[in-house]
Amino acid sequence: MRMQPMIQIFFSSLFFLALTLESPAQTGNPYEMTVNGIKVIVQPSGNEIVEIRTILKAGVQNYPAEKAGIESLAMNALSECGTARDDKNSFKDKLDKVSAEISGNAGMDYADLRLNCIKSDLDAVWPLYVDALTTPRFDSMEFDRIRQDAINTLKSQASRPDNAINKLAKETAFAGRDYAKDPAGTEESVTKLSAADTKAYYTSLLTRSRMLIVVVADLDRSLLEKMLQQLTANIPEGKKIKLTRYSYTPTKNTFRSEKKEVATNYIEGITGGPQPGSPDYNPYTLAMRIFYDRHFLEVRTNNGLSYAPIVRFDGGLSPSTSVIVSTTNPDKYIAVFDQVVDKIKKEGFTADEVKNGKNVYVTRFFYTMETNAAQAASLASNEIQHNNWRRSLTINEDLKKVSLADVNRVFNKYVNHITWVYQGDTTKVNPALYIGMPGNKIPVSKLRKDNKN
Amino acid sequence: MNKLIFAWALGLVSTTCFAQPRLPEHYYWEKMPNGLEVVVIENNKVPLATIQIAVKNGAYTEGPEYSGLSHLFEHMFFKANKDYPDQARFLKRTQELGAIWNGSTGTERVNYFFTFDKDSLDAGLRFMNAAIRFPIYRVEDMQKERPVVDGEFQRFESDPTSQLFLACQKKLWGDLVTRKNPIGIHEVINSATPEKMMIIKNKYYFPNNSILVICGDVKHEAAFVMTQNIFGSWESSGFDPQVKFPIPEFTPLSSTDYFVNESAIAQTPLEMYWWQGPDSRHDSASTVAADVFFTILGMNSSKWQQALVDKGLASIASAQYLTSKYVGPVFLYLMPNPHKLKALNDEVLNQVKQWGNDDYFTDAQLEDAKQILRRTSIRQKEKPSRLPDALTSSWCSTSLDYFTDYDDNCQKITRDDIKRFVNRYISGKPYVAGMIISPAMNKKFNSAADFKPAL
Repeated sequence: MRMQPMIQIFFSSLFFLALTLESPAQTGNPYEMTVNGIKVIVQPSGNEIVEIRTILKAGVQNYPAEKAGIESLAMNALSECGTARDDKNSFKDKLDKVSAEISGNAGMDYADLRLNCIKSDLDAVWPLYVDALTTPRFDSMEFDRIRQDAINTLKSQASRPDNAINKLAKETAFAGRDYAKDPAGTEESVTKLSAADTKAYYTSLLTRSRMLIVVVADLDRSLLEKMLQQLTANIPEGKKIKLTRYSYTPTKNTFRSEKKEVATNYIEGITGGPQPGSPDYNPYTLAMRIFYDRHFLEVRTNNGLSYAPIVRFDGGLSPSTSVIVSTTNPDKYIAVFDQVVDKIKKEGFTADEVKNGKNVYVTRFFYTMETNAAQAASLASNEIQHNNWRRSLTINEDLKKVSLADVNRVFNKYVNHITWVYQGDTTKVNPALYIGMPGNKIPVSKLRKDNKN
Repeated sequence: MNKLIFAWALGLVSTTCFAQPRLPEHYYWEKMPNGLEVVVIENNKVPLATIQIAVKNGAYTEGPEYSGLSHLFEHMFFKANKDYPDQARFLKRTQELGAIWNGSTGTERVNYFFTFDKDSLDAGLRFMNAAIRFPIYRVEDMQKERPVVDGEFQRFESDPTSQLFLACQKKLWGDLVTRKNPIGIHEVINSATPEKMMIIKNKYYFPNNSILVICGDVKHEAAFVMTQNIFGSWESSGFDPQVKFPIPEFTPLSSTDYFVNESAIAQTPLEMYWWQGPDSRHDSASTVAADVFFTILGMNSSKWQQALVDKGLASIASAQYLTSKYVGPVFLYLMPNPHKLKALNDEVLNQVKQWGNDDYFTDAQLEDAKQILRRTSIRQKEKPSRLPDALTSSWCSTSLDYFTDYDDNCQKITRDDIKRFVNRYISGKPYVAGMIISPAMNKKFNSAADFKPAL
């Protein structure tokens, strides 16, 4: 009853993607304060769960491609390789005692060390968190273990087709850019990392200039301030950092394929999107919500081509838009895709679609605010990517101001050329259809007739 | 019979007498005259309402000729009905309601759920009513949906973990494997007809085989009135589908079975071990003991984690039990260090052999595990839209009383309960052990030769 197996033992009508929407706050007024020069965002939670995240900015901008994986290993080592006070087992046993979570993660735009516990356990957990952030041991034997685990996980992830196609798409679209790096690294890059190198890297990363702290919990302000002063007192200021932004704008359609022995074929098309903080961002978010529905209707409902037709807008520092399907009929898929896009370009979305898109967004807006962890993630990403954590609380109202004309305009502006990647049976796909060579498109009138299953 | 079982037996009796089941605070229950059980969970954390209908259907009701069709049926729910006669209109309505929606098919439950603004509760319930009671099955719709469901199957088969899972299931459940495999059989899915959908509907889709849960910023009195108005005319089948169409009992495994499957896409090896475990009909106490014991094994200090993960033999070594009404599986999932495969396999068996020993865990670890479960329960209640899911899962595989008493019963588990669980289902019992590995790695590490039971 309690446990969620690691394998899928039920099947859903819709393919689930992690929601990356912004979440607001409803209980208590959020506020910000500055502690030792570090911005702290606090959202009262109205429940007995405490979520605290210390953010270290810049993510994949912090290291070269050949060192990819170093930030991920460093953050993981904080809770897995002991601290000055506790060896790994002692540290983890103390956490188990109160079923608390302290875990480090590395992402594209920032890394974080998160704490999640029941409020009544905070006194026991907080010293562990302080130790993990400020006095990690980087024990070499434990480091060897987590490095091998990281390699095993990389291989396991690469074995999963959804991960593999997404990695290929990012590597292709962002070749030579920061976003081509996988924070988890590669087997080659991770193998070369030592405990000493990684510790040195972490020491350079841990500066107040990179830090942001997000708290979602019902904690007394003065007490919290005191705790955070203690946490950050000995952390050096460090150099001021400037986050780099990049906009991907492909100038032609491209197609890259890899033969792979899987039961179906995986396709991902990737293009750019508006920068976080720009006026186009909210209309585009809504446009992609509606585009998801149109794409779903034509690809799955009307043509039975794919179980999981996905449209996803990743609005990070190098924003991108992806369309993802798995299908046994890739040539027909691209014809349907072209048809959907052409129709939107010619006729635009409708006022009803925009109105309903806002309705769905409202539901998702509240749906994603249900946990403290989701709220903390949203506050952090809005602050890092939009320079505006309050957007996490106002997005619902902001979206109401978006007009049909805005939505149509941004769709035409950003959805043009696509970088396609493909993994599966390469004999089943005609690349010419994906790069849009004239005369090679399947006539739309033939689509329904060909729909034999 | 120990005290725990006795308590649950009492609970069962009271339920069959249509008494109010035990439920947590802010949960309200009614049984309508047509047999539909309705639970309203008042939770105003966000201004949303989630509605979920769960039906006692799923793989366990499927012989080979229907394998995968509960799942196809679940997909067809979202296709067309008397009020929304095609999927385009169905989807448009979900958008008008601002609804997040999905359904799922498992071994012992099929469920359908919508989350929307709290003020849309009446409209949402009417939408659910049309879909569950008045579906339309057209040949052309099914032709379009069959490849979608089969595509979900193909995605599943494209994952090495799933490949290994399916291979283990076949060996664990033998001739009755379809009763444990919701994804089904390609040929059955691809030849399904509207007639078969109607057969499923007429066997299982009745109010007296279903539960409706409404959760969110709602008032139970008003919600019960709406439910009665909307679902009151849904006619009972007049029979209990679980009695009329009995589920055959699973045959116990007769011998241990090891196998190694090669897969080019398995870039790192994976291993699973499966046993036939307890079920809620015959041994409720062991279903809870299993959860407590495997919580101990998940702790860093456990002998299990120390021997396997701390020593670097595996990146993941999880042990789990899935609560079921009809023989729940116990399984180990291991992500080995490929350089230490033989040592891992030896150590797994060595550890499992010790599971029944008095000194395998300490009293302190047992107490810590219970406290972990207590805190886990607090966390699981954090997200209101997920509360119906836990409730309907219990309703299908155990009972509402089991659901309500679960946290307290975890705290009552003793060493003897755990020992009894291990001795009855694991120690010396046959099991299925599978490994999936790439051909190159298999050759390099001679995995097949090393993957075998202890002599």
